Amino acid sequence: MVLRSIATRLSLWVLAGSVLVLAIAGGVLFYRVSGQILEKAHGEATALANEAGNRIEQRLARVADTAQTLAVVVGTHPDGAEATLRGALARNADLSGLAVAFVPTADNPPVSPFINRQDDGSLAWRDLRKDNNPYWETNWFQAGLSCAQGCWQRHFYSQSRQREMINYSVAISGSGRPTGLVNADVSLDWLSRILKELGKPAGAYAFVLDESGVYLAHDNPALVGMHGQANLLEALASHQASRVRLAVAQNPQAQGKPVWIYFVPVEGTHWRFGLAIPETKIYAGVRQAFVQALLLGLLALLALAVITLAVTRRILTPLGMLASRAEQVARGALTFELPPPRFPDEVGRLTQAFDRMRTELALHIAELTRNAKEQQRLASELDIAHQIQTALLPGEHYLDAHCENFELHALLRPARAVGGDLYSYFMLNERRFCVMVGDVSDKGIPAALFMARTITLAKALAPRARSPQHLLSLLNVELCRNNDSCMFVSLLCGMLDTTTGELVMASAGHEPPVLCDTDGVRLVELDTGAALGLDDEARYPPRTLRLRPGQTLLLYTDGITEATDTDQQLFGTERMLACLGQSPSASASDLAAGLLAEVDRFAEGAGQADDITVLALNWHHALADGSADMLDLTIHASMDDVFDTLDRCEASLHDQGVSPDVRDDVRLVLEELMVNMVQHGHAGGADRKIELHMRLGDDAVLIDLHHDGHPFDPLQVPMPALTGDLADADEVGGLGIHLVRAMASELSYSHDEHGNHMQLRFLHPARPEPDHDV
Amino acid sequence: MTFSLNVENESPNRTVFHLHGRLDAQTFNDFDLAMLDVLPRIPEESTVVLDLSALDYISSAGLRSIAKIRRTMRSRNGHTLLLNPQPQVRKVFDIVKAVPVNEVFADARELDEYLDRMQRRMTGDEPGSSP
Repeated sequence: MVLRSIATRLSLWVLAGSVLVLAIAGGVLFYRVSGQILEKAHGEATALANEAGNRIEQRLARVADTAQTLAVVVGTHPDGAEATLRGALARNADLSGLAVAFVPTADNPPVSPFINRQDDGSLAWRDLRKDNNPYWETNWFQAGLSCAQGCWQRHFYSQSRQREMINYSVAISGSGRPTGLVNADVSLDWLSRILKELGKPAGAYAFVLDESGVYLAHDNPALVGMHGQANLLEALASHQASRVRLAVAQNPQAQGKPVWIYFVPVEGTHWRFGLAIPETKIYAGVRQAFVQALLLGLLALLALAVITLAVTRRILTPLGMLASRAEQVARGALTFELPPPRFPDEVGRLTQAFDRMRTELALHIAELTRNAKEQQRLASELDIAHQIQTALLPGEHYLDAHCENFELHALLRPARAVGGDLYSYFMLNERRFCVMVGDVSDKGIPAALFMARTITLAKALAPRARSPQHLLSLLNVELCRNNDSCMFVSLLCGMLDTTTGELVMASAGHEPPVLCDTDGVRLVELDTGAALGLDDEARYPPRTLRLRPGQTLLLYTDGITEATDTDQQLFGTERMLACLGQSPSASASDLAAGLLAEVDRFAEGAGQADDITVLALNWHHALADGSADMLDLTIHASMDDVFDTLDRCEASLHDQGVSPDVRDDVRLVLEELMVNMVQHGHAGGADRKIELHMRLGDDAVLIDLHHDGHPFDPLQVPMPALTGDLADADEVGGLGIHLVRAMASELSYSHDEHGNHMQLRFLHPARPEPDHDV
Repeated sequence: MTFSLNVENESPNRTVFHLHGRLDAQTFNDFDLAMLDVLPRIPEESTVVLDLSALDYISSAGLRSIAKIRRTMRSRNGHTLLLNPQPQVRKVFDIVKAVPVNEVFADARELDEYLDRMQRRMTGDEPGSSP
């Protein structure tokens, strides 16, 4: 938990790193310094040892001087030896005793005096000749005789004086040979005192070894008289080193720790003075100093760590705040207080950047939310647009309800929510069925709007159109109007005579339809005009086809032929024809659905790029009973023919059981229209024709009236001025047309290059049932 | 024979035309010619009654002929009254509002009553002018 804070970790790391550096540096320094310290200690100890050696030499030299002087003096005056000895003994406190021993001959003095110092300081005298043991037979005497220049004898323990002694012997020479010797006894107590008086460092101890490796003196009295340890003696024997390091010291005082031993030879003797300093004592000072320095350093580092912790905490406090704020941001909360940036350092910049980021983020989120709402609204609008567009299309299936002459299946699948493909079909009148399939350039909303415009206009204009080519012309003119965006629609329009199966088609730049029957599958070649909306003077040549029972006409858009697969290959006309040819069923629904499924299979994975429409029209059979078609006449535009026709119409209506008042209405309307044609519509030509088709629908009499004369739209004639009395005016025009408009249940007019076309409809609800009619 | 006309002079100041059949673009000419012959002989301020009970059919041409008669009679201070039009004919009259409603009578009795009433008013208002 604590380690999660950067400040803590930083200070810990600083502490650890500093301790490491300090330890390494301290170690190296200690190593270097301890070398120097050792050198220094060597020097000091050696000096100390030299000093001690010198002092011992001086003391011994005085003894030796005294003995040699005595030897000269006694050699010349043997009789005064005693007094001389006493004087010498008084002068030199180091001397414990002095003896003059003569080789026992005849001419020798009778005594060999030995004077020694008592413990109370008084001098005792005895004659050595009177000792029980004859001295001239002893080793020290024999050895002393050979020392003409004087030599130190081996030390010994004096039983009489209860102390360690050493004696210096100088031979007394007389007439070329030694006559005796002067023997100076030296108590070694002073040697121990000298060792003790040396200014030794604490813990050090000194000793003196004689030539045989035995301790003459030692700070530890227990060792006096014992042999030195082997490695020490080896070092001494080598004569090369003046110091040696002993891993384990002999002296128990050193407690088995390593010691350095410095030794110097004591001149005039074969002794060696040794100074032993425990290694720990050498390093003790520096070690202590280092320990103190390390402790101080550690304390300083601890303080440094604490300061680092405090400073880092203080600097990083805004960071902690920022971290918790960032967690809030992650939870979506964007409104909070930020600490004010104290300094323009990284943390300050971070705080400012964080604040900016928060603001930007809030703006961005608001923007996103707005966009999402906008998207949602657009999607919902598109959805509604899709519904509206779907509503513009008639149902997918149409079966001629009365006589099941034909069946129609249509499938439209937009590439997006809304599309530019369209199909439509509707009955123009009782007999004529209009069907169309179109494709607006472009896709999406503009195309959908243009599609809506096209389909609505087509429906509105269709009743006025006599033929598909006429309908296309009318549509084209309307679509060209204000078409600044230069959108266009390719449209294939067909009008089917539901009685006979005669189909007239015209194409405005649309794909040719496919005809399927037992003979195979083939394209219906037809000349096409320009697409609608581009050239308002375009013409559309018609193509007439008489459908045979079992034949299916397939209309489609380029969404089929231009569907692409993942390799960018087009589906193409060939595949379409092949697919239709392999269809097991010739029914409209199977052909349309089968084709669409094949296209889906082909384009699988590539996605639908364009709107797809398929419309299949299956012709079942022609109408066997043509009785509903009552009259189909073409007459000259003359009064006689007109009235003859009126009579025939009336007779025919009578035969069909149409009620008299409807018959009269029909007669009146036809008379007014046809008389008008005869009287006003000849347009200079004499041989104008009038065509009349009259059929009986379920509830109405349907009449098509065509006249190839002067264009005349009865619907555009103004209403006559009716005052309530025709006699008020000299001549009232337009009475007949007024009657026509009042009498006919429905009236539509169109004009094309063939002339005037009128379609009339008279309701006759009281038509008797056919079985009663027979 | 689609149209025929009978003229009956009931009294010096009332002439009745009985119209039969269809008065249309084909027959109005004959009717007009007959009228040209008959109308000038009708005295001023007399009444012409068009008995339409046998008229099956009338078209705009026939309407114009009848309007012509009414204009002629009006110029001669006479009246033109219509008697008993068939529904079909009546419908046509209604559509074009051919004559004022009060000049069309469903049967002869109504017509007689109207004429009597008019006679009395004329004699009452202008006693001197009575024959």
